[in-house]
Amino acid sequence: MRGLDLSLPVWALATLLLLALIGLPIGWLVALSVTGEHGLTLAHYVDAFRSVALRRALWNTVVMAFWVGVLSVAIGAPLAWLTARTDLPGRRLLRALVMASFVTPPFLGAVAWVMLAGPNAGVLNKLWRSLTGREAALLDIFTMPGLIFVVAIYTFPYVYVMIGNTLELVASDLEEAAAVLGAGRLTTARTITLPLVAPAIVSGFIVSVLQALALFGSPAILALPAGFHTLTTQVWGMFQYPPRIETAAAVSLPLLVATALLLMLQRRLLGRRGYAVVGGKGGTRRRLALRAWRYPALLGCFVVMACAVLLPYGVLARTAFSRAWAQPLTWDNLTLRNWTFTFFEYSATRSAIVNTLELGLLTASVGAGLAALLAYVARRRTIVGHQLVGFVALAPIAIPGVVLAVALFIAYTRPPLILYGTLWILFVAYVTKEMPVGYAQCDATFRTIPAELEEAGRILGARPLRVLGEITAPLARSGIIAAWCFIFIGVIRELSASIILFTASTKVMSVVIFDLKEEGQFGAIAVLGLFMIVMTFGVVLLMERVLGRDFLGVRE
Amino acid sequence: MKADVRLVGLGKRYGEVGAVEGLSLDVAAGELVSLLGPSGCGKTTTLRLVAGFITPDDGEIWVGDRRLSSRDAVVPPERRRMAMIFQSYALWPHLTVAQNVAYGLRFKSDVPRSDRDRRVAEMLRVVQLAGLEHRYPGELSGGQQQRVAVARALVVEPDILLLDEPLSNLDANLREEMRFEIRRLHEAFGITTLYVTHDQAEAMVISDRVAVLERGRLAQVGRAEDLFRRPRSRFVAEFIGKTNIIDAVATGPDTVARAALRLRVDAKDLTAGAPVLVSVRPHEIELSTGPVPRTPDNAFAGVVRRASYVGTAVDYQVTLAGTDVTLRVTAPVTVRLAAGDTVAVRLDPAACVALPPAP
Repeated sequence: MRGLDLSLPVWALATLLLLALIGLPIGWLVALSVTGEHGLTLAHYVDAFRSVALRRALWNTVVMAFWVGVLSVAIGAPLAWLTARTDLPGRRLLRALVMASFVTPPFLGAVAWVMLAGPNAGVLNKLWRSLTGREAALLDIFTMPGLIFVVAIYTFPYVYVMIGNTLELVASDLEEAAAVLGAGRLTTARTITLPLVAPAIVSGFIVSVLQALALFGSPAILALPAGFHTLTTQVWGMFQYPPRIETAAAVSLPLLVATALLLMLQRRLLGRRGYAVVGGKGGTRRRLALRAWRYPALLGCFVVMACAVLLPYGVLARTAFSRAWAQPLTWDNLTLRNWTFTFFEYSATRSAIVNTLELGLLTASVGAGLAALLAYVARRRTIVGHQLVGFVALAPIAIPGVVLAVALFIAYTRPPLILYGTLWILFVAYVTKEMPVGYAQCDATFRTIPAELEEAGRILGARPLRVLGEITAPLARSGIIAAWCFIFIGVIRELSASIILFTASTKVMSVVIFDLKEEGQFGAIAVLGLFMIVMTFGVVLLMERVLGRDFLGVRE
Repeated sequence: MKADVRLVGLGKRYGEVGAVEGLSLDVAAGELVSLLGPSGCGKTTTLRLVAGFITPDDGEIWVGDRRLSSRDAVVPPERRRMAMIFQSYALWPHLTVAQNVAYGLRFKSDVPRSDRDRRVAEMLRVVQLAGLEHRYPGELSGGQQQRVAVARALVVEPDILLLDEPLSNLDANLREEMRFEIRRLHEAFGITTLYVTHDQAEAMVISDRVAVLERGRLAQVGRAEDLFRRPRSRFVAEFIGKTNIIDAVATGPDTVARAALRLRVDAKDLTAGAPVLVSVRPHEIELSTGPVPRTPDNAFAGVVRRASYVGTAVDYQVTLAGTDVTLRVTAPVTVRLAAGDTVAVRLDPAACVALPPAP
């Protein structure tokens, strides 16, 4: 008997850590929202929802989220079908562009669209004026439709992935079976294909709505200048002077509940209609010939991708090398000043880059490790209460970043752990926010490793932690690296929690970009944004190599 | 070190369902006992209880004078000095054949590091895998993978060897070959072995004794021939080989009746009037043309309903005249009858096994 079996303490510790990570802030959030000077009260809720401004923000949020959902489905569903099931040319490139849109930080897209379609200086509006000679602007991005558009072009990839993966699993046999029975192409699509992917469409809609609800950056950049608020910008406003933390808590909680309810609805839909994935195995998928529609369809796809990726990236690249971004790109206007300014002169940038990288590496390493341990605990049922682990680890999906930030602010500005003002509070926020992604990835990995491989090690004399290290870990390695990459990408683009939790010495890149926007420093934004995008793509490529598959999970 | 295994009143429930109930079984040192039964009978659960992967709700497991499992305390698998061969083989795909086989030796303090390579090479020679040391499991055939699993389990010289349907993933020819191979290895190493299978032919070829499990309980344990010739329940009679079951009532200590049918059976203490099931194996029924002889017991006239030629024998369905009893009969190909033929049917009383009625 060499040494002790330390496996049980390790499992228990990981689980307790998870419970504390999520239980503590949410507990404080609830507590503070119902506590007044004289004990229990609902006054904060009454205050919050009696305010006309807040009710208006609530209505704006509902309108925006609903239309983002609709638009995301309208873009994502046809695009998924075209790339998965037809002979559309350029499918690989298209998929790469969707991936690019998926990982583009939405606030960066919003800034880029300010440069493209701002009513006065927007590049597209200028082009319009010089072409037509008219005075009026063609596009105004500082409007509700503008906001919906900019949010949707970075949200539709969620719908794309869900529908794409479902279509991959619906074998052509099912459709051909209908065709053999005499159904025409349209009838087959209406009676077989559409019902099979309907759950994916609905849940894609719900996920898009949830994304829109939780978003802070785009509304802050586009709605605030236009003079309207959403819930997230309202909550953020409550942290500006004078802070109204209790009211923020009272607004956050209903938002949390609404998110949770929508998620439960989505799970139910997917659960009941789970047959959509039955019968995928072995079935071949034949591609529909588009014939005359090939090039019109391709054009449509590239218009969408131009809006989401090509135009924004183009305007960022142009701005990064221009003295004045709104002026034509001539030799006189060309400069590297933005780069030297950003990296060497602007004081906040370098520390923000260091902070972001530190937090990214630390969060990804700790988060992937913890997620792997937790997924292992849940899947191998190593301790009592393992059923709870999966539920709690996935729960942060239902916590919008702003809400999480409010909760963490409350929890960690008081003993025993005063983390506010340090990088640690951002670390805790990121680990919590990225836990569902890491957990889901690790869980999927362990699902492919049969328990018998571990039992074979046990019966031959290896203790549990040794089996974990020598057998399970090497087999799960690529899956855990993928979890690491997902978390890292999530961290470097995080804005909605950071914007509430940062302090002067703990700024991260996304916060600096937001500040630069307030100052109108578009050149520096472009430089920093490109830097962020390049870093993200580097990690995505690393991950695709390790996993040997497409980032979006859609196979060739 | 050879050791005996004792399962005492073992029980394991999953929710309301009892997977194993009141199972007691002794396996002598050096003996190979099969746990045989249909899927869901609790045989794999029993094996996993012995391995220590799961904790019993009732009962105890002893190996020699060590109590390994009870309700309150379970010695973990890594301290049981056992080895197991899994249905999937459970070979580690990231380790070579030699690394797979050598893994367990690292945990044996009595095997010096310098000795490991020699032992691995020796064992690979025994299972005829010499030369494949540096392959990965994914590069081997199913049969070779199985040999690696066998080598990995045997090289650690376990006190107890556990096998969970190790042959079920092989094709039919290889499976038959491996039966003899496993028996040969057992005779060479003499390790106390528990062998789980749902294949009665496999159990009969490989085992010293067979334990038949029915819905988590031990139905009967004994040598293959005893189980085949002297089943103690309808379940065992039907699970081990094919049989005819006649639902009858005792008329004397060794006679039963079903309507007009009177049978002498292999029993001495039947109570008249008690319900009795009679099991007769198809190949123990004699068919002959010509008149029904008068003198011997259990001779009847019958009509052939159907004849099926199956190569090594002919399968008949024969209805006994004046009764509702149709028997399945396996006759040598020298007796050739056609549907509609009248035949003389004789059931040897020694082959008519009296069984208690199904509960």
